[in-house]
Amino acid sequence: MEIIEKIKTNKLVENQTEIQKICLDKLQSSPLPNPKSELWRLSDKSKFSTFLDYSVNEKDLKFDTPYPKNSQNTIRLIIGENCQIKLIEDNYSIQQLSEHELDKYIKDQISCFDQNENWSDLLNLSLSCKKNILGLKINGSKIPPIEIFSHASCNSLNAKTLVILLEKNCDIQLLQVNLGKDNSSLSQSTFFFLEENSTLTHGVVSYGKNGSNLLNSLNVIQQKNSKYNLGSLHFKFNYARFEINIKQSEGNAKTNIKGMQITKKDEQISTYTKINFNGPNGFLDQINKSLADDKSHAIFEGSIIVPKIAQKTDASQLSRNLLLSDLAQIDTKPQLEIIADDVKCKHGATISQLNEEELFYMRTRGITLAEASKLQLSSYFQEIISFIPVSKDRWDLLDKILNEN
Amino acid sequence: MQSQMKESDPILEVKNLFASTNNLPILKGVSLAVYPGEIHAIMGRNGCGKSTLSKIIAGHPSYNITDGDIKFSGENINALEPEERSQAGIFLGFQYPIEIPGVSNLEFLRVSTNARRKFLNKEELDTFDFEELVKEKLELVKMDQAFLSRSVNQGFSGGEKKRNEILQMALLEPKIAILDETDSGLDIDALRIVASGIKKISNAQTGIILITHYQRLLDEIEPNYVHVMADGQIIKTGGSDLALELEKKGYEWTDNFVKET
Repeated sequence: MEIIEKIKTNKLVENQTEIQKICLDKLQSSPLPNPKSELWRLSDKSKFSTFLDYSVNEKDLKFDTPYPKNSQNTIRLIIGENCQIKLIEDNYSIQQLSEHELDKYIKDQISCFDQNENWSDLLNLSLSCKKNILGLKINGSKIPPIEIFSHASCNSLNAKTLVILLEKNCDIQLLQVNLGKDNSSLSQSTFFFLEENSTLTHGVVSYGKNGSNLLNSLNVIQQKNSKYNLGSLHFKFNYARFEINIKQSEGNAKTNIKGMQITKKDEQISTYTKINFNGPNGFLDQINKSLADDKSHAIFEGSIIVPKIAQKTDASQLSRNLLLSDLAQIDTKPQLEIIADDVKCKHGATISQLNEEELFYMRTRGITLAEASKLQLSSYFQEIISFIPVSKDRWDLLDKILNEN
Repeated sequence: MQSQMKESDPILEVKNLFASTNNLPILKGVSLAVYPGEIHAIMGRNGCGKSTLSKIIAGHPSYNITDGDIKFSGENINALEPEERSQAGIFLGFQYPIEIPGVSNLEFLRVSTNARRKFLNKEELDTFDFEELVKEKLELVKMDQAFLSRSVNQGFSGGEKKRNEILQMALLEPKIAILDETDSGLDIDALRIVASGIKKISNAQTGIILITHYQRLLDEIEPNYVHVMADGQIIKTGGSDLALELEKKGYEWTDNFVKET
């Protein structure tokens, strides 16, 4: 892996920024995550090495995938292309973070990084040049929905970073779309800071093409009385990891997560979530669905951490999985780490196949097996897709999932 | 009684049918012929093979036909898929209608109806035309339009599920309907609504098989023939008076038949 050699010899990127220097410095001593650690042990080593095999590309080639038509009342930003934005209206404002603000926020984050848990972020911030980092601060209400795109380029490794600070009482809907290209790797790291009483309804849709790889890391800090809703969907990647790290910094916040990953052929897609309650009265409702077909492998590992300070936490985590083939594999591990004694926490996991009796019922009504399976799958997906905000209809997500191979 | 001369050919003919699941024999030589306009009732203890017979006629993939034939309109349908049987005009009303969360009842009914209409070379209906049709059929089973916007059978009461089955029967206009314990779990009013719906849908060209334990459904819909099943076979066939006899005698005597055979 050329990239690892370059990290070791400090030749990964030229004209390093201070943040790149800090991250490269951290990576130099151990450039790869520990393959025996809980977060990496199931990761397919050969696929992971494919991710790292592409050379770093700071300049994006012209992106030729047509985006769905933009709605007039949606703000659309493409990281690395048109990141200049300054909107100051009567009831809201969206402005870019100054270089100083951005540096300070990222450095604060890095200071808390763990080599294994944040390896994806360390790599991302080592690679992301200034052009590919979008930092925004948003305040106000009645803000138009926002779409933010990150995309890879063929035969290269691209890194994109998004930092958003939501100021007090702010309420936004944001759809983040990560698009893979043929034989490409995309490293996407996202950092959200939700101030008191703010609400973020966030959608993440990541879909690739043949031989696409993705490391997608999402870090959220929630102050009290903030509300974070996440609907996510990852599909069609040779190798993808979605790492979610949420911290309710003072408790008294609400987090709702509905995520899904779909694997086919010999793909491997995994979701790792860590929800840390750092104060009382925190709330979490999480469901993660996996669907694995052919010879693919889907992984979910979720951890909920409830320290002594987090009394009256109410947390629920459910992993529901559908195996469509005898050769497909699903690993799921929802887990709780509870120190506080006055909490309501539950977790569970199910793995099943398409329901034969449901299929037979539909077939006795003249619906073919293929149509019946599609109907059943669409009902399985619907719960998640309906939770993804902003223009989900224009993205025809359900059609994409059901019809693409 | 089945040997009487009939003017037309049977809609459904089951000939010496043997079937098993997981190598366990369930049906052990069932023969039955249903002619246009006829109503047959099949009665018997739990586990005697009544529901299995209905599922096998509908093409359930978990059962293997080891011997015998099922003929529908003169054609052997042993190898047909369940959807092909349905499209051709075989309807199975489920004892326990399946809930399908997330699939809207209206869309489910429309897709089903269009599959049957396509087979009949009738024009497929778009959502607007279908809504007109379904409103008319809802009247038959006294169902509210609100049922259409819900997921298939999800959150329906037992009676609502059974009425939804009869609604499907009305929309699909089958040549033969096999109704598996459609009366179970119904109160008297619901039973009357369901029975009245069945009577309105059936005509001189259709056949009906009612699988039931009780006389009360047969009070509403008088069968031409009553068959008693035990241990995977039809052991006795008679007229509607046989059902009354069963009501008095129970099924104990069928155990003796099983022991003797």
